[in-house]
Amino acid sequence: MSRLPRWIGWASWLGVVILYIPLLAVAILSFNSTRYGQQWGGFTLDWYAKMAANEAILSAAWNSLLLGVASTLIATVAGTLLAIGLHRTPWPRWFQRGSDLAINLPVVTPDIILAIALVGAFAVLREWSAVFKPGLVTLIIAHATFQISFVALVVGSRLATIGRDQVEAARDLYANTGQIWLRVLLPQLMPGIIAGALLAFTISLDDFVVSFFVSGPDSTTLPLLIYASVRRGVTPEIHALSTVIVAGTMLAIILTAWLQTRRDATPKD
Amino acid sequence: MRTAFLALILALNCLPGGEAKTVRIFMYSEYIDPSLAELFKARTGMELDIQLYEAQEEMIAKLQAGGTDQYDVLVASGVVVKQMAALKLIRPLDQALLPNKANIGAAFLNPAFDPGNQYGYPYFWGTSGLMYDSAKVQGEPTWAWVLDPAKQPGPFTLLDEAKTTLASTLAWQGKSMNSRVPAEIKAASEALVAAKHSAKCLGFAGGVDGKNRVLGGEAVVAMVYNGDAARHLAEKPTLRYALPKEGAEIWVDMLMVSAKTPNPAGAHALINFLLDAEVGAQNANFIQYASPNEAARAKIKPELLANPAIYPAAEDLKRLVYLEDLGRDSRVWDAGWTAVKSQ
Amino acid sequence: MAGRTLIVDGYLTTRPRLYGRGTLLILGAFLWMGVFLFAPLAGLAVLAFATRGEYGGVEWTFTWGNLVRLAGWDEFGFSWNHVQIVWRSLWLATVTTVLCLLIGFPMAFWIAAKPARWRGLLLALIMVPSCVNLVIRTYAWQQFLGAQMPAAWVAQHLGLVPEGSALYPTVAAVYLGMVSCMLPFTVLPLYTSVERLDWTLVEAARDLHAGRLRTFRHGILAQCMPGLLAATILTFIPSLGMFVISDMLGGAKFLLIGNLIQQQFGSMNDWPFGATAGLFLVLASLVALWGLRLVSERETPHARGRR
Repeated sequence: MSRLPRWIGWASWLGVVILYIPLLAVAILSFNSTRYGQQWGGFTLDWYAKMAANEAILSAAWNSLLLGVASTLIATVAGTLLAIGLHRTPWPRWFQRGSDLAINLPVVTPDIILAIALVGAFAVLREWSAVFKPGLVTLIIAHATFQISFVALVVGSRLATIGRDQVEAARDLYANTGQIWLRVLLPQLMPGIIAGALLAFTISLDDFVVSFFVSGPDSTTLPLLIYASVRRGVTPEIHALSTVIVAGTMLAIILTAWLQTRRDATPKD
Repeated sequence: MRTAFLALILALNCLPGGEAKTVRIFMYSEYIDPSLAELFKARTGMELDIQLYEAQEEMIAKLQAGGTDQYDVLVASGVVVKQMAALKLIRPLDQALLPNKANIGAAFLNPAFDPGNQYGYPYFWGTSGLMYDSAKVQGEPTWAWVLDPAKQPGPFTLLDEAKTTLASTLAWQGKSMNSRVPAEIKAASEALVAAKHSAKCLGFAGGVDGKNRVLGGEAVVAMVYNGDAARHLAEKPTLRYALPKEGAEIWVDMLMVSAKTPNPAGAHALINFLLDAEVGAQNANFIQYASPNEAARAKIKPELLANPAIYPAAEDLKRLVYLEDLGRDSRVWDAGWTAVKSQ
Repeated sequence: MAGRTLIVDGYLTTRPRLYGRGTLLILGAFLWMGVFLFAPLAGLAVLAFATRGEYGGVEWTFTWGNLVRLAGWDEFGFSWNHVQIVWRSLWLATVTTVLCLLIGFPMAFWIAAKPARWRGLLLALIMVPSCVNLVIRTYAWQQFLGAQMPAAWVAQHLGLVPEGSALYPTVAAVYLGMVSCMLPFTVLPLYTSVERLDWTLVEAARDLHAGRLRTFRHGILAQCMPGLLAATILTFIPSLGMFVISDMLGGAKFLLIGNLIQQQFGSMNDWPFGATAGLFLVLASLVALWGLRLVSERETPHARGRR
């Protein structure tokens, strides 16, 4: 694996640069004292102070986080089980193909169509229970609905590359089904599950159209606030918030990695 | 896991929601002075909750899908009042609860789209026109600066709004800005296609982007809403905002009451509060749009009243036209806009 | 046949028992999707045959009109407008997917080649930019490509663009924005496959004196097929419906299919036609998926054999 051609590194760095240029621009704008327009007006931390004092932004950020975590949890569990159930059962060909298309349906459906469809469904269900009143619950349900697919797709592509030899070996060693799941299947699937959950979470954080239609007045999320402000030009408070989110996420990731290394370094029993 | 989820649902639904003590207004962002919330509470004892939308069409679609019991006061442009009334998204006002309606200027009362102000009262009004750099563009402002490939003075942007842009093109061609004649709309769309393919065209942009282009010197003229231009004319002394000689759009945003408002009394109290002379002036000074509130005029900053991008001169006002809801005929406009954007 | 015993995962079982277990596993997700997705979408399909009301509501009179209109007949007679819109959307999505795969494949290998403790970290860092809202990032691209910024300054001095002009709206700006937005969705599924790569097969191909290209195709590509397929789907399909980026960085001069659909639920208030155009996109994408699946089934004999 260490004999990768050098151009692979270059291409990767190109990718990283393309990914991070906008973040850099956002960070610079968050320190610019000019409110509207692009001119550099001098360095300031004012926008961070204003952002921290802006209740609407803070509550929207909290809603987004709550929504993202809850819907991702539901979607990760349901999507992983779905992928395993589909890939590890000798379903007839027609059923496999049918469910393949069904899983891809939320991926191929335009946001606005999904939004209108979901809003219609909630309107019908509301007749039956007040749970479906526009709000955080409908948001969580709506997001989980399209997230399930993304998780199932990523976990499924991982499953397809896992051989069955190890499961068979474990079986030969008289492992029971529970042990096989916990000790063999899940650890091997974990990278896929984590990747799927990450993907699902970021899609939830970014969603505007579906959120706009199914949210209620008490459940404004960040994208809703951001899109509303775009009409007058993105405000520096939003840039400050984005920078804080990026910095916070990176810090959390690096911290986790560091803890992981330390744990791995200490000898196990 | 399942019980935990059910518990979560229950907990979320038991949280204190919007009781009658709160009034919710649904509007564009930065469209109200946030400090008015405290004043409103001091005067009425009710909380003001501001909810934002990005595009009023999306707001209407959301209400249509069953959101009318979530909001009390809705702010939307006059052009959609008939539609919202027909779709039963708004309810007739209780005129007795709105004594401050007397503050509104006569020119803004009893509009064609809402006879007798049955459904709403005006909040702010504005126009769409051209923002340009007078150091690089001279002469009497005309739509030809962006629409006639032979007269375009330099790089420009068009407004990415189907109705406003087609209507302005119709005005340039001497036709009604609310034309229902397919041949006229076709001609307008062909003119826009020609303008779009001009080498000087930087494309269709939102008002903010267009304004940024002129401000940054990348474009010399842009089609924008007056509000986008007004705040920035001072940044560069050569910048101007003008209403072209052929005529331009005027819009007025209306304060209306949601059909199934949970708090009708509060909704009327809020509208009456916003129509108050003092409140109207404070609000107008903050958001820098033109107020239809005659009684508030005395307290609006003189520099705002003198800004032609906010309050156009009297002779300019005569050329301004309200866009109408064209009902089924808007399909012709849709076809025209699709043609503009695909050829 | 149903009663015959099978050996699956080294375990003696019967088809009904496997079906029972499989059904339990997929039931939750499919019930959820049935209530909140399949049924509502079916309802929306009915809307495609309704008529727009005078004031933008929906009138439930049956019509084929929306289909005829989608095919290209509008108020001005027949035009190729809709065909062009579809064509442009397909082209944008295809180029974006190819660019993303060209950059994303090396990135997947690059990450997979790092020591295990770095991989999770790098993977997470690839996802970090997606934590910032798409509109904010695209707006940031606008600022970055602005006339007074270093990138434009360099281009102006190299004579690539006229003095004082910005680097957007341009085709290159659109693709920069698209790749920047879609790349994480390419890298992630690719990585899950590359990480599992069985290098002994690659060695075997080399030992058999296969050329570099054949080694890549039969030794590497065939093994990565499931990830490649997932990456293609997760990149291509969302790109097909994307229009914010091309509007903000490409000057919004041309409609994409996403614009057309949004326009019907927005300024034109024609829900039935919006549903028609939207469901057309869904069906077309499903057909494309079916095709992709057939290709991948032909390309992955190993994976099937290993089952």
